[in-house]
Amino acid sequence: MRLPHVGLTLRIIGVLLVLGVAVFPLYWMFVTALTGDSELFASEARLVPDFSQFGVFIDALAEGKATTWLLNSLVIAAGTTILSIGLGIPLGYALSRFSFRGKVIVTVVLLFTQMLPEALMVVPLFALFRRFDLLDSLGGLILVNSAFVLPIVALILKGAIDGLPREVEESARVDGARPLTVLLRINVPLIAPSLAATAVIAFFHAWNEYVFAVTFVFTPGLQPASVGIANFIGELGTPIQTVMAVSFMFTAPAVVFYLFVQKYVVAGMTAGAVKG
Amino acid sequence: MRLHRIRRSMVAAVSVTGMAAALLAGCGSDGGSEGGVTKLTFAASTLGDPGRGPLLTKWLEEFNKSQNKVQVSPAAVPYPTFGQTILTQMGSGKGPDLIRFDMPEFESASDAGLIAPLNDLIDVSKYDLLKQPDQFMVHDGQRHGIIFEASNYAMFYNADLIKKAPTTYDEFVETAKSLTKGDTYGLAFRQTEAEEAGVWQDIFNYVYGFGGAWSDGKQLTINSPENLKGLQAYKDLYDAKVIPRGTDAATFRRMFAEGKVGMELNNGGYVTATRGQNADLNFNVAPIPFPVRKQGTILAPIVINEASPAKEEAATFIKWALEPANQVKLQEILGASSVATVTQRSPEKLKETPFLTVFDDLTESSLPQIVLGFEAKTPDIRKVVVKNVIAALQGTVDLKTALDNAQQEASQLVG
Repeated sequence: MRLPHVGLTLRIIGVLLVLGVAVFPLYWMFVTALTGDSELFASEARLVPDFSQFGVFIDALAEGKATTWLLNSLVIAAGTTILSIGLGIPLGYALSRFSFRGKVIVTVVLLFTQMLPEALMVVPLFALFRRFDLLDSLGGLILVNSAFVLPIVALILKGAIDGLPREVEESARVDGARPLTVLLRINVPLIAPSLAATAVIAFFHAWNEYVFAVTFVFTPGLQPASVGIANFIGELGTPIQTVMAVSFMFTAPAVVFYLFVQKYVVAGMTAGAVKG
Repeated sequence: MRLHRIRRSMVAAVSVTGMAAALLAGCGSDGGSEGGVTKLTFAASTLGDPGRGPLLTKWLEEFNKSQNKVQVSPAAVPYPTFGQTILTQMGSGKGPDLIRFDMPEFESASDAGLIAPLNDLIDVSKYDLLKQPDQFMVHDGQRHGIIFEASNYAMFYNADLIKKAPTTYDEFVETAKSLTKGDTYGLAFRQTEAEEAGVWQDIFNYVYGFGGAWSDGKQLTINSPENLKGLQAYKDLYDAKVIPRGTDAATFRRMFAEGKVGMELNNGGYVTATRGQNADLNFNVAPIPFPVRKQGTILAPIVINEASPAKEEAATFIKWALEPANQVKLQEILGASSVATVTQRSPEKLKETPFLTVFDDLTESSLPQIVLGFEAKTPDIRKVVVKNVIAALQGTVDLKTALDNAQQEASQLVG
């Protein structure tokens, strides 16, 4: 009778341990932001935030720059998520359902693009974006982030669509549904968990992206938070508490977004992994 | 019927693509001239410094108020990736109009033709330029830059912790060891590959301070006995654990400002930055107590981007900056650094900061942190040297072998 309780207790301890490891960096940022100058480098680290220092958050927001950076990050991340999923659905569907010459090569090439580091692509893409007047714009960053995240989005969605029974589509066609209607009204709702998973991947990629953002955007008002935070790191000094305060605020929206879609994510990640 | 359906799908696809293109184009930039006012951008890593950045921004605003034809605004480029970002932008025909470079990037950019020659834009004979640093601004008769900041390296020390500054290397080591206890360290320097440019600046003082040099002007001398001696001193201090190992410059400088680090070798710009972080810190400055009185200097030229469509206007700003009153203001902002022209420090400033003369006295024995004879290749040589020295610090190879490897790799690079 006792064994189930022991198992449950151990499981709870395990979960708390994992949670602690995952959440601790976030907590440490929060505590450091709320640590006074004299205690910042004390031999005994402060483990509890000193709320009398809360002004650092207010000061960081009062200037307005942090709010602008966060809004820019939100626009870029949301835009990338929408664009990559919007293009990933038809691409994943085509790879899953249609037979055409070179299909295997297309799939391999999509995988291959995931192996290219961003730094390698900065110079050629900068020249290309300059030609099409896409530099120094949020739209340009949405486009470049979407280009990098689209292959993995398409491949995950292909896997999810592979797992759907073709009979459902055939029934819809018999009832007069057009291909686009089948895709949007039948397939898309059925792969909702995978869409949530890909949304998380796309959102986080764009939210954290730094290399393109720092190179492609010149106007301070268009910089996302990933670049804005780096602006605090000076040649001769860095306001550590301010960096931690803005970093904490930078992390929070991404965590909220994940919590919002997390219930779909695990199902989405495994969708299509095992086909009947 | 099927054809009709395909045509509708195509129309829908084209419409969506068109809307996306319009959205993206609508977000594009349209800088340049507006209402007869030329808008320029100025990129400088110092604009991000907590102490100097806001003051420099105000100095730019003074220029904007001084006339109504040209407006200069700061371009925010983060310090950690400053050189790489700006060179990528300039290499593709974009980037800020005006840039404050560090020497290695300045040399690379001028060698690649990315910097506008200033001979026809600025008549330098009108200004009393400091000759020692200014000589590095001209390549084969072509002037590529004007000194924005010249900042010699010296030893900063916490005057509450150290009553008498060390004057020999042995005293320096002893002081560092005696101060290191608990959460306080005797010394701090950069020691990770992530801070490649910073490590290069730091080891430069050890190499030249022990009589070494990276080259003789014609051949690289990375593995010379003098260099080995200097870098062994750097490694010995690392091994003695008198520095906060693994800590980056931003953190250990803050530690110095909070009295948790006793000594640091740094340049004159650090005076304002340190006061910006802790106005109450009681610190002083003395020459670096190494056997040879030779140390690095940060030479930071201001240049005009060759791709800038408004070079004349950019030159207007530089000419304004060179005016005596504006040079004095700039020098006061930059702290203990020098500026392009000969300027007198005010008695008030000397009373407030008596050690300013220490920096001024070091000008003749200070050298820019470039590899003489291989100036344009300095960033590549720097990468090789730093990688090998860090490998020696981490114990994966002994220091002599590391320097031999660096000599071989760098020699292959420069051909």
